[in-house]
Amino acid sequence: MSSSDGIGRLRAIERQFDRDRISVADLKSLEDIRTRYLSRKAGLLTLELQNLGKLPKDQRADFGRVANEVKLKIEASLDTLQATIAEREKQTALGREALDVTLPGNRRRVGHRHPLTIIRNEIEDIFVSMGYTVEDGPEVESTYYNFDALNFPAGHPARDPRDTFYVSEHMILRTHTSPVQVRTMEKIQPPVRIICPGRVFRRDAFDPTHSPMFHQVECLVVDEGITFADLKGTLERFHKRFFGEKTKTRLRPSFFPFVEPGAEVDVSCVFCDGSGCRVCKGTGWIEVMGAGMVHPNLYQFVNYDADKYTGFAFGGGIDRYTALKYNINDLQLFFQNDIRFLGQFA
Amino acid sequence: MKVGYRWLQEFVDIPETPQQLADRFTNVGLAVDALEIAGSDAIFELDVATNRPDCLSHLGVAREIAAIYGSELRTPKFQLREAEHRAADVFSISISDPDLCARYCGRYIAGVKIGPSPDWLKARLELLGVRPINNVADVTNYVMLGLGQPLHAFDADTLAGQQIIVRRADLDEKMTTLDEVERQLDPSMLVIADAKRAVAVAGVMGGAETEISSATKNVLLESANFDPLSIRKTSRALGLTTEASYRFERGADVEMARFACDRAAVLIEEVAGGTIFRDVIDVYPRRRTPVTATLRRQKIQGFLGVPVEDAIVEGIFQRLGFNITKHSHDGWTVEVPSHRVDISREEDLLDEIARHHGFDRFPSTLPKWSGFGSHLPFESDERFLRSRLAAAGYSETIPMAFSDESTERKVRPQIAPVKLINPMAENEAVLRTSLIPSMLRTIQWNTYHGIRDLQLYELGKVYWDGGETRSLIVAATGSLRPKSVHEAEREFGFYDIKGDVEDLLRSFNVAMQSAVNSVPAYYHPGRSVRLGDLVVFGELHPDYARDYKMRHRIYIAEFDIQLLFESRIRGSIEAVPRFPSIRRDLSLLLSKGIKYAEVEQAVRSVAIPELAGVEPFDRLESGSFPESKYALAISLTYQSEDRTLTDDEVDVFDRRILESLTERLGAELRQ
Ligand SMILES: [Zn+2]
Repeated sequence: MSSSDGIGRLRAIERQFDRDRISVADLKSLEDIRTRYLSRKAGLLTLELQNLGKLPKDQRADFGRVANEVKLKIEASLDTLQATIAEREKQTALGREALDVTLPGNRRRVGHRHPLTIIRNEIEDIFVSMGYTVEDGPEVESTYYNFDALNFPAGHPARDPRDTFYVSEHMILRTHTSPVQVRTMEKIQPPVRIICPGRVFRRDAFDPTHSPMFHQVECLVVDEGITFADLKGTLERFHKRFFGEKTKTRLRPSFFPFVEPGAEVDVSCVFCDGSGCRVCKGTGWIEVMGAGMVHPNLYQFVNYDADKYTGFAFGGGIDRYTALKYNINDLQLFFQNDIRFLGQFA
Repeated sequence: MKVGYRWLQEFVDIPETPQQLADRFTNVGLAVDALEIAGSDAIFELDVATNRPDCLSHLGVAREIAAIYGSELRTPKFQLREAEHRAADVFSISISDPDLCARYCGRYIAGVKIGPSPDWLKARLELLGVRPINNVADVTNYVMLGLGQPLHAFDADTLAGQQIIVRRADLDEKMTTLDEVERQLDPSMLVIADAKRAVAVAGVMGGAETEISSATKNVLLESANFDPLSIRKTSRALGLTTEASYRFERGADVEMARFACDRAAVLIEEVAGGTIFRDVIDVYPRRRTPVTATLRRQKIQGFLGVPVEDAIVEGIFQRLGFNITKHSHDGWTVEVPSHRVDISREEDLLDEIARHHGFDRFPSTLPKWSGFGSHLPFESDERFLRSRLAAAGYSETIPMAFSDESTERKVRPQIAPVKLINPMAENEAVLRTSLIPSMLRTIQWNTYHGIRDLQLYELGKVYWDGGETRSLIVAATGSLRPKSVHEAEREFGFYDIKGDVEDLLRSFNVAMQSAVNSVPAYYHPGRSVRLGDLVVFGELHPDYARDYKMRHRIYIAEFDIQLLFESRIRGSIEAVPRFPSIRRDLSLLLSKGIKYAEVEQAVRSVAIPELAGVEPFDRLESGSFPESKYALAISLTYQSEDRTLTDDEVDVFDRRILESLTERLGAELRQ
C-alpha cells in the first residue's frame, strides 16, 4: 500500500461527497450524510484515516495533509449546508404563519368632537392668544340686556315676536350674545377685551342657511384710545389666523343699533381665493360678520365715561365659520347629529 | 328698494357705469342686492339700512351719489300755476293729535279727468315694478319714488263735511281699506277722518270708500308726516305693510311734505288736467327744531385712527348738505339737514366722514395693551373630558334645545320648564329640562337611518323656569364591537357603561361615592346605579325606550358636570414599587344574592396594609355545587413597600381573609 493509493481514495471520497451533497434537502438527510462520512466509528473518511498507521512513515505526512484537507472541506461544506437548510426551514415555518395582511385591522371605535365644538375651540384659542378673556351668560335673557341696553329702540323690528322667542313680556331667548357684553361692562371698568361665544335663538324656519337655534361669537374691546383702525386690524388678524395668511378682510358700511360706524365684514372667498365662484356668487367675497365702533349710548347704560373711552365690537356665526371651514352647505347637518356626518370630524 | 339709473341721472350727473356705481354704493353702505341691466337703463335693488330713510327715494340716493362724485344735486324744478280759489275756502284740515302727526299738507285740485297715465309715467313705474293704476294715483307713487314723500289722493267729493281731521281711531271703529279688507281699529291707531268716519289709516293705507275712481272730479291731495313708532305699531297690529308705512316708520323728512305736495299737484294737473286751488293747506303744529352737531378735529384721529384733511372733511359735509355753521381750530359745528333723521351727535358725523372718506383709507392696527387672555373657568377640564370621551368611543352631539312639555315632564316631572309664548311648532314649545329626550331622538334618528351601534354624548344646557345649567349625558346602544372576520360581535352592556363611568371618575380623580338606590323611573330598576349627586347611570327602562320605538337596550349616564369639575383633584403620583408583588387567587362558593360589594367589604375589613388590590375574575352561576350557590374567583394582590413578601406571610393573609369571608358571608373555599 502506498500513499498515492491512499490519497487517491481520499480524493474519491471527496468526489463522492460532492455528488452526495447535492441530494441533501433537510436536516435529516444532512445528519445522514454527516454520519456517513464523518461518524467516529464508521464514517468513510474515518475509516480511511485508520489506514494512516499502515503507511510508511515518510508517506504519512502527505496522506495526513490531504486527509485533513478533505475533512475540513467536508465539514465546512456540511456547516454551510446546515445553515442554508436551517434558514430555509425557518422561512418555511414563518411562511406557514403568514396572515392575509390585506384583511382590515381590528378597529377600536373612536369618538368625534362635534364640528361646532372644534371651531369654537379654535376661535377661542385665537382670541385668548391675542389677550382676550372668554365670557358667557344666560340664554334665557331679559329684553333689557338683549335690546334696551344695546340701543334697540322700542318697536325695533328685531323685537318683533315674529323674529324673537318670548318667554314673558320682558324675558326672551337671547337673539345674540351681545347681552354678555353689557353684563360684563356692568361688572368691570375698562379695559374690557372679551369674546362671548354661545347659543342664540331666532324665529327662523329651518333651511340650509337658517336655524332657529345657532351659535355666535362676539368680541368687545373698550379702552382709552381704541380706534376704527384697531377694529380693522383685529378683524384682519383673526381671519388670517383662522382661514390662512392669504385671507383678505373688507369692511362695508352698514347699520346696527349698537355700533357706529357699523360695518359688514367680508373675507376673501376661501374657496376661490377671491376670483369668484358659486359659493361667493362670483363676487370673491363672503360676508361673515357685523362690526363697528361701540355706540356711545351703550356707555350710558353701564356708566362708562363716553368721552374717555372708545371701543369696538364684532360678531359672527360659529355655525357659519364652521360651514365655511369645512365647505358644508347645509346648517341642518349640525343639529341632526347623524353619526355618518359627525364621524368625519376629528 | 329699487332705483333706476336713468331716473337718478335726472337728479345728478353720474360719471360712471351702473356696475361701477354699484361698487361705489357698496363702499358708502348702500348694499346692492341686485343690479339688473334693462336695455339702456339699469335697476339697482338696494338694501337700505333702517336708519337711512332718506335713501328711500331717487332724490335721496342721488344725494349720496352727489357726495360720492362731488357732483351737483338737482332738485326738480317746476312751474306751479294756481287758481284764484283758495283751497282753504273749500276744505279744512285739523290735527287733534300733533304728537302723532307733526305736519299735514293738503292741496285741492278741481276738475280732474281720471284715466290712464301717459306712457312715460307708466313706463317709469313699471320699470321699478309698480303697477300703474290711474293718472292721479300714479302721480302719487311717482312722487313718492322720486322724492321719498308718501302721498295720498282722496276723491274730495266723498269726504263728508269738506274736512280732514287727523285723530286717533275710536274704540271699535271699523274701516275698509283700499285692499277691500275691513279693518278693526283702536285708539292706539292714528286715522285720517272726515266729519263722519275714518277715511284712511294714517300713513299706512287709504280707505276704499274715498279712493280715486273713474268718476272722481275733485282731488284732495295729502302729504303728511307721521310719528314713526305709531306707524310701525299700527302696521304690525293690522299686519299691513305698504310703501308708505315702510317709509314713515323709518322716518320721513318733515320738510319735504310741502314741496312734494306742490310737485304732485303740478304733475296731476299735467296728466289729469284740473285746476290747482291756491295755497297748500299746511298744518304744521310740531315745527322741527334745527339739529346741530359738533365734530372735534382731534376726535377724528382718536376715534378713526388717523387724521383726515380739513378739506376732505368739509367737502363731505358740503356734499351731504350739512351747513358748517362754525369752524374753529377745534373742529366744526354743522346744521343737520332735515332728511337726516339719524344724525344728532359727534359719532354720527364721524360715521359720515368714515363712510365717505372710505373705510379702506383707514389703516389696520392692533389695540395696544399688556396682559393676558383667559378661557372660561373649567375650560381645560371640559377639553380633558371631551378627549377622554372621544378616546372611549363616544361622539359629541348638539341637538336642538326645543322640546314639548309632556315629553320633558315624563323625565323631569317636578321641573317647570321655560315655556315659549311664540314657539315655531307645538312640539317645540318649551326648552328642554333634561338631555334625555333629545339624546333619545338623536339615537332614533340614527337608527332610522340604519345605524344601530352608537356611542354618543352631549355636554349641553338644560333649562328650567328661573335658571339654566350645563349637564353631561353619555349614551350607548347596539354593539360595542361589530362582528368581523377576526372577532365575534360584542353587545354594549351594563358593565361597559359602568366601566366608562368609572374611568371618567378615575380620570378626574373623583372618589367614588357610595351607591344610593334611588334612581329615576326611566331607568331599568335592576340595572341602574346612582353615585351620590354626581352621576346616575344604567339601562334605560324598556317602557321609555318603547316611546322612541327603540327595541334595543340603551345605556345612559347623566353627570352633574359642575360637581364633577369642582370635585376634580390633582392626584399625587407614587413611585413604582421596588419589591415584587404576590398574587393569590381564591375560588369561593357564595350564596346567591350576596353582592360583590359585600365580598370586597369582607376582604377589606381585615385591614391588611399589604393588600394592594382585590379583583374578581371569574363568576359561575352553576356547576358542581349546590344550586343555591354561585362561584366567584377573586384575585388578591399583596405588596410591601419595604420588603419582598414571603409565601408564609401571604398564607397568613389569605387565611385571615378567608376567615372573614366565611364569618361574614358564609363563604366556602371551592375545591
Ligand atoms: Zn368664491
